[in-house]
Amino acid sequence: MRPFSYAVPATLAEAVSALAASEPGTKILAGGTTLYDLMKLDIEAPPAVVDVHRLAELAAIDTTRPDEFSFGAGARMADVADDPVVRRDFPVLAESLAKAASQQLRNMATVGGNLLQRTRCGYFRGGPAFPCNKREPGSGCSAIGGLDRGHALFGAGDACVATYPGDWAVALLAFDAEIDVIGPRGVRTVAVGDLHVEPGDDPQREHTLAGDELIVRIRVPVTPSGRGSTYHKIRDRESYAFALVSVAAGVAFDDRGVVEDCRIALGGVATRPWRSPAAEAVLIGERLTEATARRAGEQAFAGARPGTGNAFKIELGIRAVGDALRIAGERAGR
Amino acid sequence: MSTPTRRVDAREKVTGAARYGADRTSPDLAHAVFAVSTIGKGRVVNVDTAAAEAVPGVLTVVTRIDPAELGSPGFLMGGGYGFQSLQPLTDDRIAYRGQPIALVVADTLVAATEAANLVRADYEPEPIATDLDDEGAETLVQEEAIPLPFLADIVVGDADAAFVKSPVRIEASFDLPRQHQVPMELIGGVVEWRGDTLVVHEGTQNAGALRGGLARQLGMDLAKIEVIAPYTGGGFGQKNSLQPHVGPLALAARRLGRPIKFVMPRTQTFHQASFRPASRHRVRLGADETGRMLAAVHEVDQQTSRHDLFPSMSTEITSRLYGIGDFRGRQRLVRTDVQTPGFMRAPFEHPAAFAFESAVDELAYAVGQDPVSLRLANDTDVDPVTGQPFSSRHLAECLRRGADMFGWAGRTHEPRSMRAADGSRIGWGVAAGVYPASLAPAVARVTATSEGKVTVGVDGHEMGQGIRTAITLLISEDLSIEVGDVTVYVGDTRVAPQHLTAGSWGTATALQAVHAALRELRKHLNVADSDPVDLGAAVAATGQTSVEVEATTIAPGQPPEIIEHSRAGLVSFAGPVYPGFVAFSFIAHFVEVRIEPTTRRIRVPRVVSVADCGRVASPVTAASQLRGAVVWGIGASLREESEVDPRFGGFANATLEEYPIPVNADIGEIEVGFVDEPDPMLNPVGVKGLGEVAMVGVAAAIANAVFHATGRRQRRLPIRIEDVL
Repeated sequence: MRPFSYAVPATLAEAVSALAASEPGTKILAGGTTLYDLMKLDIEAPPAVVDVHRLAELAAIDTTRPDEFSFGAGARMADVADDPVVRRDFPVLAESLAKAASQQLRNMATVGGNLLQRTRCGYFRGGPAFPCNKREPGSGCSAIGGLDRGHALFGAGDACVATYPGDWAVALLAFDAEIDVIGPRGVRTVAVGDLHVEPGDDPQREHTLAGDELIVRIRVPVTPSGRGSTYHKIRDRESYAFALVSVAAGVAFDDRGVVEDCRIALGGVATRPWRSPAAEAVLIGERLTEATARRAGEQAFAGARPGTGNAFKIELGIRAVGDALRIAGERAGR
Repeated sequence: MSTPTRRVDAREKVTGAARYGADRTSPDLAHAVFAVSTIGKGRVVNVDTAAAEAVPGVLTVVTRIDPAELGSPGFLMGGGYGFQSLQPLTDDRIAYRGQPIALVVADTLVAATEAANLVRADYEPEPIATDLDDEGAETLVQEEAIPLPFLADIVVGDADAAFVKSPVRIEASFDLPRQHQVPMELIGGVVEWRGDTLVVHEGTQNAGALRGGLARQLGMDLAKIEVIAPYTGGGFGQKNSLQPHVGPLALAARRLGRPIKFVMPRTQTFHQASFRPASRHRVRLGADETGRMLAAVHEVDQQTSRHDLFPSMSTEITSRLYGIGDFRGRQRLVRTDVQTPGFMRAPFEHPAAFAFESAVDELAYAVGQDPVSLRLANDTDVDPVTGQPFSSRHLAECLRRGADMFGWAGRTHEPRSMRAADGSRIGWGVAAGVYPASLAPAVARVTATSEGKVTVGVDGHEMGQGIRTAITLLISEDLSIEVGDVTVYVGDTRVAPQHLTAGSWGTATALQAVHAALRELRKHLNVADSDPVDLGAAVAATGQTSVEVEATTIAPGQPPEIIEHSRAGLVSFAGPVYPGFVAFSFIAHFVEVRIEPTTRRIRVPRVVSVADCGRVASPVTAASQLRGAVVWGIGASLREESEVDPRFGGFANATLEEYPIPVNADIGEIEVGFVDEPDPMLNPVGVKGLGEVAMVGVAAAIANAVFHATGRRQRRLPIRIEDVL
């Protein structure tokens, strides 16, 4: 670890000022569950850290509005996961958080910070000995032709095949969530779908926020398909593991039992949270059956490009989509 | 007098009062961290320490130690003391990725860590071989490479001929991955000099080897070295010997005149300590149409390092599982570019039993026999290898009782024939396990006071298995005193030689010595052996306030001078073949798996395990140890693999987050049982071993259950979702 300066602003306004005045490379500290980890690994070496984890202005959870749920960026993952209204009306959101990390980490980590969690690629985290374009541009990608069981089927390129590791952003993406961001140039709103970027030629760039911008809140439109939703996560053990494949799914039926809204997003298989409008389109206007769900799954994985050790995730993913849609459909009261 | 319902040190442990090696602190404590090699093999040409030395608080950066100042500890299995013979920092060779290239000592851990990260080295890399089949891996026939009788291939009759003649033949090859022990307590501790005495506080299973090894490495007198390890936070074989950091720390501590703490980071424990090597087991089983086994051939290839030959003893148990008349074992060692692998819980027996007991299950299906009945029909009273009797053998009882507890009678034989309400496939599998019942020399010194209290210092290490509880119970019961009136010192070279505690001989070895000391005590107190005693009164009657006695015990057939070998810190156990008998512990595991209909996650909702470990010396810790072994078996079968990228060497998933040991949510119901029949032929306390046999066969029972659920044989561990999709 390297020395760094540390600021604890008392208000959001002070935080914005502190970030505006900060040197390049300054990092925002929220729950600290990943930033400190990456600093110990010498992946992050910020000259300064602005600690926002005590800001009450960021902590609110508002589920009272009929059209939109709002989660302060500083709300703890555990608090949102346990919120009874979220669990009842938007199970995909609660489950995506509850199935992430461990209880201890969820008690610390925030829903804002979680969006920007960096990849778990072992070569990225393993240190300078391993070529990694994300860590050292131009050094190469060790995962290509290496241990890539956990790596991406979608959105990868020659420079990087690292998987976006999070769950929460996958659920948010499926339901058109937006984030409000504050910075020295004011407030702006970013769709979660516009937050993360594919590695392309620049795997170091993972999202579209500026270094001096702070996520204030996450807003999720309330929809019937949110009530008929699930986050289905398949992993190597029952808890405390990243997804081999995960599916955020939601469905809503019209009164004839035909699917009128469908949401499908994938985690654990892409370089960013990955939504599949084509898979959603398979089901809209159709009845949800084992066969149509399978077709949606096949459509979701149609463009998958496996490496050496992750091809099994295609069939696994197709089946996970089917199961997720079945669970969502049962909740939607088909 | 009451039998405790929990381990005697439970309170200390849960309150944090128990002091582990690295818990020690002192005002002038310095901290050490290793910088490690980033190549898989070759030569280090230059180590640049300038940036590291410039970090404020850095006291010294050691990149090279004269071999005259610090010699090789020798390899534990080669008459030495170290987990490997190679002592890093004593020359320019890099034998494996993660080998230390510099030792940084600083005022604080933060400074030492920062400085270690700044050490840069230039290397001349060489091509590496990491796998059994890699070009450059060198395969040796074990009995030729290490001509020691106990490592020779076991050959009884003419198994190859008998196999060819057998009407039913099973032939299969099984691959097992590298795995790491990942004990909760990291490797390390505090090294300090008190005058010219070197004192080491470190969690270990082998304080004697730390002492003996340091004496050899540093050219010191044994009497000037003390190793103190009252608690070890899990060892599982990884802490069975001298680790390569202790010698350099001793030199640095002497030069700096300060105690030094070293706690090996988790990732380094994957690279600088032993692990379970990769192995391949080819099994051929011949039988008649009724399933009577006639011949077995068990051939093993096991990974080792370039610099040491870590031997395999896989066929020692597979030749004894059943009464097979013709048996041939063959064990080969494959040299690869890695640190020396070693003993990880049931080191050979877990892989061997996975292979052999999977093949036995295949045989049961080939002849249409129930897998439990087939095993019972092949049981034996006589050791097929030596012709000697077993000191005790209750495998059949384990199988019968386990089948009963599990409800095995409700199983349908056909694969894919059992299904749960949610559509999951249900599979029920069984497997047996065997493990040698060894014993080691031990010294016990017992002091009894006129207040009726007893203190005992004895060979043994408390690494969570409950040895302190077992010793306390023995004394408490023998002398009719409360457990609270017994104080036990183990893991301390000031009270006993501290022979290696491993191989499931620890409890029996310590109890045998304590039992002998209690006989001595009774002689001193003029109390007949089996009579009840009022201890305080009896001591007072001697006119003294306390009475001290000592006893030394050895294994059956060992020469008395073996105790001197043990005092030197060398491995000195005997068994399982003794004059006139052989001794083994036995177990049967019954496993239910459920496999989801679509995404095929394998779950293990329940396990029943029944063990024959002789007399159960400590019911609470024995049950705990057995459950823990089943948990480990589930991890070993369905989760754990230390992954290697052959381009780089080393281990890729070398953290607790990435190395997938089971979590609580992975574990269902585990019901354990014990035959609890004393084995007086082996020792007067009637105790065999438990900790290792407890894990033997779990993997096969799981794989056999997966077969029963799916109809697909699993011949490679871990069995993961992609294997059953």
